Amino acid sequence: MTKHDPKDQLAIAKHLRSALSAPADTALAHSRARVGKWFAEEAPLIQWGEMSSPLGPLFAAVNRRGLCALDFGRRESDFLNGLDPRARLEKNPKAVQHVMAQLREYFAGGRSTFNLPVDISQLTPFQRRVLEVTSHIVAGQVWTYHRVAERLGRPHSSRPVGQALASNPVPIVIPCHRVIASNGSLGGYSGGSGLKAKRWLLRLEGAL
Amino acid sequence: MAPRFEPLIEQHHDEIFAYLWRLLGKERRRDGAMDVEDLVQEVFLRAYESFAGLRPNSNHRAWLYKIATNCAYTKLRQMKSRRDGLLSLETSAAGLGAANGYSPVRKNLAQRVRALVNGLPSRQKVCVTLRYLEDLDYPEIAQILGCSQESVRANVYQAIRRLRLILEEE
Repeated sequence: MTKHDPKDQLAIAKHLRSALSAPADTALAHSRARVGKWFAEEAPLIQWGEMSSPLGPLFAAVNRRGLCALDFGRRESDFLNGLDPRARLEKNPKAVQHVMAQLREYFAGGRSTFNLPVDISQLTPFQRRVLEVTSHIVAGQVWTYHRVAERLGRPHSSRPVGQALASNPVPIVIPCHRVIASNGSLGGYSGGSGLKAKRWLLRLEGAL
Repeated sequence: MAPRFEPLIEQHHDEIFAYLWRLLGKERRRDGAMDVEDLVQEVFLRAYESFAGLRPNSNHRAWLYKIATNCAYTKLRQMKSRRDGLLSLETSAAGLGAANGYSPVRKNLAQRVRALVNGLPSRQKVCVTLRYLEDLDYPEIAQILGCSQESVRANVYQAIRRLRLILEEE
């Protein structure tokens, strides 16, 4: 046997495995259950659900503060991977049914504002201020990035405003699609299929 | 895409438990407070607390092993300092027979391998356990222990050299 001989390596591993006892399955199961219980108590709970929409599959998630994520036209795994990585996820359609009901009314043209608590606490103060201003733009209107920046008292911050809007975790409900470029082009949109979805939403609201 | 914490429990709990079980060896039975389950809980607690600062492309398995190794070192150090006072009494009571390394009844191969691994310096024991029982590669072990690959290889070599002596006696 030489030290680089793969057979020798395997033989050593085999001797070590047989000499050093492995824990019993019951001990493993007990510990796994304990860690699982701790995680269930420690980690914040995010409940989520899905519905079909004119913009493709739509996903919404709520935590104890309110709606914390919404997206559409993406794969389920992409939506879930975008949620707080330390949270415990639970698929629970009942927990988001009030969100889905208001969104259905919106898509049917019967609602222009949402009455939902939202949680954007994970964003920076500037991002939160941008979204706060944006949430007051009424359906059927569009503002420019520059106008939002002016409203914030930072008229030269059109670009940071655009970046802050891209971080909106709850598009449609906070209507970042109502903010466009000063030259009349749509600018950008991070929700769903991007600009196509933005155009669709603005048409639905009669802004285009 | 950022990995999630929750699946890490399902994916790595059992191997982390087995790793700590082996690492602590006979120590786990010596002290009622020295419970592998407590240590595993502590590993995941520490991991959870530092998870937000972890880069998305990190090697999460190696990262968990690193935390587990640090937890085990801390626990073993605590136990050693608690035990040192008692040990002097135990060794004198054990008599001269044990002092020369031979027990009256010759142990079987598995018992001798187990005794050898349990008696290895802690760094050698960790290296050989991670390499041969947990199937981690040298770069991963170096990352876990915060040392060079050469150092890991040297520690594995020393441990295996001792092990070969036992195997060649057979």
